[in-house]
Amino acid sequence: MSASAGFIIHEIFFGCISTMLNMLKILIPLMIIVEILMVYNVMEKVADRMQFIAGLLGMKKQSIFPLLVGVVMGVTYGAGTLIQINRQTPIPKKDFALIGIFMFLCHGVIETAFIFGVAGANIIAITVGRLFIATVVTAIAARLPIIKKMEQE
Amino acid sequence: MNLFIKAIKDGIIKGIKTAFMLLKIVLPVYAVVVLIKYSPIMPFLQNLFSPAMKFFHLPGNGVVPLITGMFTDEYSTIAVMSTFNFTTAEITTIAMFVLVAHSMPVEAAIAQKIGLSAVKFSIFRIFSAIGVGILMGWIGGLIL
Repeated sequence: MSASAGFIIHEIFFGCISTMLNMLKILIPLMIIVEILMVYNVMEKVADRMQFIAGLLGMKKQSIFPLLVGVVMGVTYGAGTLIQINRQTPIPKKDFALIGIFMFLCHGVIETAFIFGVAGANIIAITVGRLFIATVVTAIAARLPIIKKMEQE
Repeated sequence: MNLFIKAIKDGIIKGIKTAFMLLKIVLPVYAVVVLIKYSPIMPFLQNLFSPAMKFFHLPGNGVVPLITGMFTDEYSTIAVMSTFNFTTAEITTIAMFVLVAHSMPVEAAIAQKIGLSAVKFSIFRIFSAIGVGILMGWIGGLIL
């Protein structure tokens, strides 16, 4: 150990308190935003306007809404919506793979912009950068033979 | 208007609930990481991975938030990151790497749930994260 026990306990104690306060400060406004988006069906309306992206990403139109939910709010919400939509209008296996690729590269953009912004990261770089990378990778993947083959299954 | 008030009320409750759920995970991790930071394990990890950190334009101890993030989540990464002094460019690179590859155990389970291969997606994410990290380290050095 390169520091005294008292110093370490001090750092743990005050570090924990400041982490706790920071998380409450971020999560309460975030959850209010998420609830408001849900109550007013904002995500559905935005998804309708973003149909042109379906072609670029090689997806069916109904796949855009779960993707958008996952990207904006988080993987858990996205997966939940995907399962729900799939029950109403079946989504092809190919779209599941493509949504997976996009969503696992880039998700929860509001939440991560908030928390990493507070931590001192460049918000524009991490948000726009990730969206751009995920879009490019997904658009390429949609045109690969492995993924195209899944369409016939 | 009623809906709006209800949304705010639900948001506050969910925010507090989520915070406490996450704190149960984050606080022990934070304590362990502070201990590791001052223990001999840290120099060992640094020596092992610091050559690799050069690809990301990060100092040797950049490996700590990266590894923590891969197993836990973004919140632990931030807790860990705040125990060191990184520059904006370094934090942005760490953020990009961790945001692509984080909570691997939990999110692999979610991938499995929607019928995708957990193993394939984990490998895909790790390689993507390395690619994104190298790219961001390089761009970050230029513009930030």
